[in-house]
Parts: sequence; structure tokens; C-alpha cells
Amino acid sequence: MAVTIYILCILTSLACTWLLFGSYRRTRYRLLFWSGACFAVMTLNNLFLLLDKIVFPSIDFLPARLISALVATLLLLYGLIYEKE
Amino acid sequence: MNDVIAGAVCMGSLLIALFFLRFWRDSRDRFFLYFALSFFIEGLHRLYSALHDAGGEDSPLHYLIRLLAYGLILWAILEKNLPRERDRK
Repeated sequence: MAVTIYILCILTSLACTWLLFGSYRRTRYRLLFWSGACFAVMTLNNLFLLLDKIVFPSIDFLPARLISALVATLLLLYGLIYEKE
Repeated sequence: MNDVIAGAVCMGSLLIALFFLRFWRDSRDRFFLYFALSFFIEGLHRLYSALHDAGGEDSPLHYLIRLLAYGLILWAILEKNLPRERDRK
């Protein structure tokens, strides 16, 4: 059950990344690029989650997970602020 | 330190939701509304998990919430791409 949910998290965020970058390639709308970058790091974040809970339960991945989530958020925030100018 | 970062992620997500909400208000494009909703859910999820066990989230069921947030993004993009009648603002 847990493994299914974690893997689904990875796959859906990967699909978001793929579709967002695909849309960016077609439209050249810059915000889509930053959204794609955000979800690319978010996919990494979900990968860390799987490693943390299932693959290496003895190693604490929490700092890596939190920092990757922060990086993902900051990427999109930068894009949103930069695009508004 | 973990709590500080979790708080920053939470605020960042809610801030992103507000940006998208403004884009939605300006353009009336539902695409932005789905994005706003997704990041709002993500932000609240971060807040909830930080309050309960410092971001460690004991139950995998928490992550169904995250799946919902990602699903909204997927739906937003698919809805944008499948019927091609509206132009992006």
C-alpha cells in the first residue's frame, strides 16, 4: 500500500514535469518552464521519500527531502516574481 | 532547523497559490485556478505534517493528499491541451 502510494507520487510528479516542459516547448510561455523545473525537483523530492521510507529506512532523508521541497518552491517563486516584471 | 525549512516550504507554496489566484482573477483562465488549488493543498499539507511530526509524516495515507494536488496539475495541463479552442492569455 505505502509503496504504491509513494511510487504513484513519483510517477504523477514526473508526468507533471514531462507535460509542463512539453507545453513550454510548444508555447515558449516562460512560466511553464519554471513550473516544469519546480516539478522536476519535486519528483526528486518524492524519490527521496521512497528512499527514506522503503529502500533505506535506517538513513534519515528528512533534511534532503525538506531542502529539495524548498528548492522546488523557490524555483517556481522566482519564476512567478521574475515573470511579473 | 527542519521545522524552519518546513515552514519556509509551507509559506512558499501558499505564496505560489496566491500568485496563481491573481493570474486567474486577471485572465479568468481555469488553468491557473487548478494550479492555485494544487499549491494551496500542498501548502496546507506541509503545515499539517510539520505540526504533527516535524515533516516526517508517519502514515503513507498523507500522501494521497499530495497525489490529489499533483492530479489537479495534470488535469489542468490536459484540459488546456486537449480542446484547443481557447488561446492562452
